[in-house]
Amino acid sequence: MADLRAAPGASVDPGAPGAHPTSGTAPQPPARRRPGMLGHRSPLRPWLLLAPALVVLGVLLLWPLVRVVTLSLQDYGLRQIASGESNWIGLQNYADILGDSYLWTVVLPNTVLFALACVVLTVVLGTAVALFLNTLGGFWRGVGATAIMVAWAVPAITGTYVWIWIFDPLNGLVASILEGLGTIEPGTVNWFTERLSFYAIATLNVVHHGFPFVAITVLAGLMTIPQELHEAAKVDGATAWRRFWAITAPILRPVFAVVTILSTIWDFKVFTQIYLMPGGNGGNKDVFNLGVWSYIESFAQGKYGMGSAIAVLLTLILLGITLVYMRTLFKEEEL
Amino acid sequence: MSTTVVDAPTDATPGGPARPAQVLRTRRRRPGASVGKTVGIVALLAFSLFPAYWMFSSAIDPEAATRGARLLPAGVTWDNFVAVIDDGGFGHYLRNSALVALGTVLASSFVALFAAVAVSRFRFRFRRSMLVLILMVQMVPLEALVIPLFLQMRNLNLLNSLLGLTIVYLAFALPFAIWTLRGFVAAVPVELEEAAYLDGASWGRMFWRILVPLVAPGVVATSVFSFITAWNEFIFALTFLQQSSKYTVPIGLQKFFGENTTDWGAVMAASTIITLPVLVFFVLVQRNLSSGLTAGSVKG
Repeated sequence: MADLRAAPGASVDPGAPGAHPTSGTAPQPPARRRPGMLGHRSPLRPWLLLAPALVVLGVLLLWPLVRVVTLSLQDYGLRQIASGESNWIGLQNYADILGDSYLWTVVLPNTVLFALACVVLTVVLGTAVALFLNTLGGFWRGVGATAIMVAWAVPAITGTYVWIWIFDPLNGLVASILEGLGTIEPGTVNWFTERLSFYAIATLNVVHHGFPFVAITVLAGLMTIPQELHEAAKVDGATAWRRFWAITAPILRPVFAVVTILSTIWDFKVFTQIYLMPGGNGGNKDVFNLGVWSYIESFAQGKYGMGSAIAVLLTLILLGITLVYMRTLFKEEEL
Repeated sequence: MSTTVVDAPTDATPGGPARPAQVLRTRRRRPGASVGKTVGIVALLAFSLFPAYWMFSSAIDPEAATRGARLLPAGVTWDNFVAVIDDGGFGHYLRNSALVALGTVLASSFVALFAAVAVSRFRFRFRRSMLVLILMVQMVPLEALVIPLFLQMRNLNLLNSLLGLTIVYLAFALPFAIWTLRGFVAAVPVELEEAAYLDGASWGRMFWRILVPLVAPGVVATSVFSFITAWNEFIFALTFLQQSSKYTVPIGLQKFFGENTTDWGAVMAASTIITLPVLVFFVLVQRNLSSGLTAGSVKG
């Protein structure tokens, strides 16, 4: 803070509330104005303005981030919660997790393959929709954009319940159609118990909720590409497929990078959509992903240390992806 | 399919040295394009809107639970909504959710606006570090913080409290709100600020009279986002709220699930009630929101 006070103009605080607004302003401006910078301020003011945000972010985001790491190094259970004591066990939780075949055969494949499928489908579908909307006239483009906005806006919780209802084994839409066609016997199939069909439904849910973001973002990018480029390529006989890869894709590379990385981060940590599906809240261990596993270990089993270690593992994966994201973003924007 | 569709941007660009006859001819020459577009828009609308339609039509269906594959509801009734609000105690959850969301919006608007002004209107040491910090915390996986925040709130006796939930949501809404508002604040011409000082205004007066009215649209847009964050949030509400009198709507919704049977009419009616405000806000500010979300990704 000391070096801040040393900044020029530190002695005057013109913004004190209730200061006499008329006195002394006339001689001040010429003396205090510097090119490209606003002079009328104290060097402390930005920190005063930032203080509430920094306190909130520090106490509620950064400190818990430190805390989850320290918790992951402890055998922290209900007894420790009650007494408030620490119970250090070093890296034992990590050793337990990484040595557990459950992680490698169930949780990690569920997390990674599910995220991968969701990201690929979301980005491909979103891009296709954006390209399609870009060919439409103003009215129909507006209609299409509004429709996908609706898909985007439906909250994850209620959206998930609708998909559960649609795939309900007893009276759901899909079961009824298949029964009508004679494909399945009534009441014999439950898609939520099988790992693959469970995740197929979850993928449909997440892609449906996620593609509008990609579509709207890519569409915004598409509208910035000069029409002449495409027309020139067309004159040269380039097909639409080739024009996409030779013109659109390179120009929009940063846009694609951002939507892909953001989708990856979001899809790795999907929780609500899995937890709310039948069996996802603890009943069916075959369908857990990292987020759900961490939650169940902590709040159903009371093993907060173990749950924290899983959460740290998830965070590290996301951190890696985030670093890529930051590099992409900073290349594009001057702060 | 989309490749043939992309081929015909002539329709979208009637400008330029217009030769209507030729445009017409190109259009006539490719009847497949317009058919493809019609099919495309129908498919897009059906896919996008179907879940929302299924939700609402099940909510007004008097025989929702045995609906099966009936595309249209058997009739129109508001009984499900009445049952949910009256008997389900959902009205109470709605009140809780509204309180939490409103608190989050008010607090985050002020705190974020102050911070946004600091980083976009002042040049100070560590300014860049602050921006990086704000961007970084936006990437913190909130799901990983459930355990420490649960313990923290437990120590502060803020579990089972709407205030505790509001404080946590404030932290979740802040990074995005600051990041978005920063663009809006930077867009206000510095000359306006300087003119106010020349007229003898103090910094505080300039802030309230010049800056706040001019960035109001940005505040509205970020408020909508904060509202949606708080209104939709699930894990923390699930973890923090243990008494049903404190439930917010996402948690209250679980009450309608029985052991073996589910009253789908009621669940869908409650879901519709939760979805509606988000839908309205979201579509209203779609432009601001999407440009904010993608700020930095699209140059243009």
